[in-house]
Amino acid sequence: MQKLVIIGAGMASGRALEYLLEADPAAYKITLFNAEPRGNYNRIMLSPVLSGEKSYEEIVTHDADWYAARGVDCRFGEPVVRIDRTNKVVYSTSGGVPYDKLLLATGSAPFIIPVSGKDLPGVCTYRDLDDTEKMIAAAKPGAKAVVIGGGLLGLEAAAGMQLRGMHVTVIHLMGHLMDRQLDPAASYLLQKALEARGIKVHCKGATKAILGTDKVEAVALEDGTIYGADLVCMAVGIRPEVRLANDAHLDVGRGITVSDQMVTSDPDILAVGECVEHNKQLFGLVAPLYDQAKIVAATLLAKPAAFRPVQTATKLKVTGCDLFSAGDFADGPGREDIVFRNPGRGIYKRLVIEGDHLIGAVLYGDTADGAWFFGLIKDATNITEMRDTLIFGPSFQGGASVDPMAAVAALPPSAEICGCNGVCKGKIVDAVLAGANSLDLVRGQTKASSSCGTCTGLVEQVMALTLGGSFVVNTNPPMCKCTDHTHEDVRLLIKTMVLKSIPAVMQELGWKTVGGCASCRPALNYYLISDWPLEYQDDRQSRFVNERNHANIQKDGTYSVVPRMWGGVTTPTELRAIADAADKYNVPMVKVTGGQRIDLLGVKKQDLPAMWADLNAAGMVSGHAYSKGLRTVKTCVGTEFCRFGTQDSTGLGIRLEKLLWGSWSPAKVKLGVSGCPRNCAEATCKDVGVVCVDSGYEISVAGAAGMDVRETEFLCKVATEAEVMEVIAAFIQSYRENARYLHRIYKWVAKVGLDWCKAQVVDDLANRRALYDRFMVSQSIYQVDPWAELARPDQRGQWQPMADLSLEAAE
Amino acid sequence: MIDIALDKPAPTFIAVAEVWVPREGRLVLSSGDYGDRTAFAAASGSESFARGEGLPGKAWAEARPVVLKDFAGSYLRRAASALADGLTSALAIPVFNGTVLKAVLVVFCAGDADHMGAIEVWAEHEGALRLNDGYYGAAKDFEWVSQHAHFAKGTGLPGGVWASNTPMLMRDLGKGYSFIRAKSAGEAGLTTGLGLPVPVPGGATYVVTLLSAKGTPIARRFEIWDARPTRVGPGGQAILIDGICAREGRLWNDETEQRVAVWQGPIGRVLGSGEPLVLGRSAVLPAGYDQMVALPIHQGGVLSHIVAWYC
Repeated sequence: MQKLVIIGAGMASGRALEYLLEADPAAYKITLFNAEPRGNYNRIMLSPVLSGEKSYEEIVTHDADWYAARGVDCRFGEPVVRIDRTNKVVYSTSGGVPYDKLLLATGSAPFIIPVSGKDLPGVCTYRDLDDTEKMIAAAKPGAKAVVIGGGLLGLEAAAGMQLRGMHVTVIHLMGHLMDRQLDPAASYLLQKALEARGIKVHCKGATKAILGTDKVEAVALEDGTIYGADLVCMAVGIRPEVRLANDAHLDVGRGITVSDQMVTSDPDILAVGECVEHNKQLFGLVAPLYDQAKIVAATLLAKPAAFRPVQTATKLKVTGCDLFSAGDFADGPGREDIVFRNPGRGIYKRLVIEGDHLIGAVLYGDTADGAWFFGLIKDATNITEMRDTLIFGPSFQGGASVDPMAAVAALPPSAEICGCNGVCKGKIVDAVLAGANSLDLVRGQTKASSSCGTCTGLVEQVMALTLGGSFVVNTNPPMCKCTDHTHEDVRLLIKTMVLKSIPAVMQELGWKTVGGCASCRPALNYYLISDWPLEYQDDRQSRFVNERNHANIQKDGTYSVVPRMWGGVTTPTELRAIADAADKYNVPMVKVTGGQRIDLLGVKKQDLPAMWADLNAAGMVSGHAYSKGLRTVKTCVGTEFCRFGTQDSTGLGIRLEKLLWGSWSPAKVKLGVSGCPRNCAEATCKDVGVVCVDSGYEISVAGAAGMDVRETEFLCKVATEAEVMEVIAAFIQSYRENARYLHRIYKWVAKVGLDWCKAQVVDDLANRRALYDRFMVSQSIYQVDPWAELARPDQRGQWQPMADLSLEAAE
Repeated sequence: MIDIALDKPAPTFIAVAEVWVPREGRLVLSSGDYGDRTAFAAASGSESFARGEGLPGKAWAEARPVVLKDFAGSYLRRAASALADGLTSALAIPVFNGTVLKAVLVVFCAGDADHMGAIEVWAEHEGALRLNDGYYGAAKDFEWVSQHAHFAKGTGLPGGVWASNTPMLMRDLGKGYSFIRAKSAGEAGLTTGLGLPVPVPGGATYVVTLLSAKGTPIARRFEIWDARPTRVGPGGQAILIDGICAREGRLWNDETEQRVAVWQGPIGRVLGSGEPLVLGRSAVLPAGYDQMVALPIHQGGVLSHIVAWYC
């Protein structure tokens, strides 16, 4: 009988043993080494053992009786230290065992982040039963756990420890959880589910150090955040365990290199499982390992067989979180997405089609058709005939259309619909049930939609849901082809449903596309910046090109650069710096603008950062001439020099500009401050104008001097500069919070009515103050000079051209 | 082997189980198993309850699980025969589908002087689950600890059920948990816990837990079936997602799904009717068991799960 030695008693070698012994139990005398002091157990079920939903005894695959009945000589807890290929002997800590055939199944080792403190007691990985027991033992009253890694394993560890009563934080380096298996939309739903059970999630978190003296005490991140920890679990990935193979001089790449027959560079040595590399591919999921095991058994019995990797699918073993992911779902040319969302039931389905084939599927909340989709992917089935109904699965019986009102239907009765009058959904429903079957009656009885009118669409949807088919909603144009909601509905629902990310908005409001379009993404990005300045992070990729590049692109592809000149006032030093920049970067045109500043036109994209740095060095910042935000505050010279000036209009303009610059708004905002009614600063055709008079300041709003020309409307008169500042900041904040994206102030005021605006910022002093305070909170985040940040050397690469094609053309 | 496995079956904590269903405004007996408790069986067969009457009627009227620990002089109309047959406590679980009552499951416990075990009802109060009521047999210290415990969403068996809206079966209750209650559970010999959500009209949160001791198990076989269309597809099917058995060991299989279709076997009957089912000694039960209780859970307008236990 030939001698077979197996190193490693994991799931892959365990399955190979089963196949081998079933096919020919007398073929080999088998010796099985394992560094762990136990035999084969179902490692992928360790997560339920950690959570307490399974016991270790239940996940044992092969117990002592199984090995004994099959005559396997078990050497558990006995690590192999060396392989002598010449004499075909394996050496363990207890001596040598000869072999005719050797099977390496050394598995993988968890990756340890090389940070200080990684060796402190209390830091563990999540790989085997010993790690699991360490985590279970750490579950003491009040204990805090930090899991580094928001992948499959890390999240299962987090949920398990949470169930055992620990306070758990997950730190994930990437922007969304399980980024290798899920897209941002599905990941949003998963994060929401985990957070609902008390797990804190910190994405984009890079671990800087693990802190502690005698044992772990905290984890410090690069962004300065520190999380207290009694236990730190690193679950950031694995790498094949190849040390023995390396020492034995077998061919090793990232893993032990094997042929289709699972044979290494030594014909008498095979390898199987996570330790192998096959056609430059590594393996971490169990399905391909079992396929490999079948090939190993066949090869050992000299039968023809060849390993062919197939697609794998992923499921998360966290009770209550239903997700499924298979295939390839990255964006790519020629690929098409089919998306289905049911916000009320937390369902997201996305299929990725290339040509006539399904190549990827991501499902959250409804995974019933996962196996079917997986079969279509694996078998490369032609889906042409069922393309239109594919998303509804194999049991499609006529389909179901996306319900645009699902988000409103899912709102609880306490959800606020009308912010002006504080009217909740329940009150509207009650009024409708009591007989209010028209919008006017609902307005009369509840006050909903009776002030600015922005919530009218939502009120009508609540009425339609309550009245059923007997009420017809006025159809306003939707935001874009990705959604049936109007801008107004989206703005209100972002607030009402406390939606704080683009994936959250798209999922909860039932977006019909995967990631939105060039129309809705900039709008959503603005709405989220406006509503959640502290929580939401600006998504640069969701901005128009001018805002992305912080400069206005011109028709020849060059850019214009406009430094800010506060109130239109400059100095010889600034002018010299501008002149120097114009010379240095060969600026073809220097132009004075209508907003009292200087425009450098024709700047090459790659010169932008250096020019910004030079202008920064002279004390100038971006003029935001490209932004949906404050552009200019035009002033006259006022009392300083003018014989007719009544107030310090120049000083007031500068102070206003310094208060308002940097804030993002639905559309551009221009101000003017004139020192007397002669109005040299043309304040009465600006978005906001101030005309100084002897007795104070007249503030007017909603002027325009572009495609439309309008004179401003009188808002109020105040006595002091401080009041001017507060009224204008409050007014702009109200515009920021309520207007539709790309609507200038004059369009917004026409919609909500000047009286409503007055009620917000003139009549209600407490509300004015609250608006001002919210504006200042936002400014604490966004009043920064983008030039200073983007001119840094580490940021300059992104401004370089992809390739210098002009030279090639010249040659 | 697993903790509830016993070479020689001991008497189980639950002795009698019965299902009451609404018919023409009253609850009438649909199925029940009384073992050899003939007096109580006879008294039950002729009963019916209006809303608010007796234990089943109270669970219906108050739309919540109800524990009754002292029969003498109580609203239990069958108190005399229950006491005569050695029954000492009861739990009534209403089964609602939305606002519609499908049935009330009532279980009675017996022989409690020496029985360790617990039947608990947890209710959400101020953002945490707190003990609403419970019956603990001889586990008095554990009862005291439980009365002072609370569980956040996602923590412990009650909090886990609450967070996942899924019945859960937990092992090794006595070790490795960040709760004082876990230590006390270990001292009481409580090892296995079944937790299930009890959806009721109005949105209040209730979780029922059955905690089993090694020597005096609540039951000797537990099964949890997932019947959500979003998991198993349309058409009335259920997948066994967890289970343990004193005779067969683990019942779950992570590689091969065990499915039943509607009207296929006892679980299929529950799938079809949407009502709980109690079976006595029968050929359809697994070998060695004399009683089965299968309890459906309706959530979001569909039958989401079935919990079954066997004595």
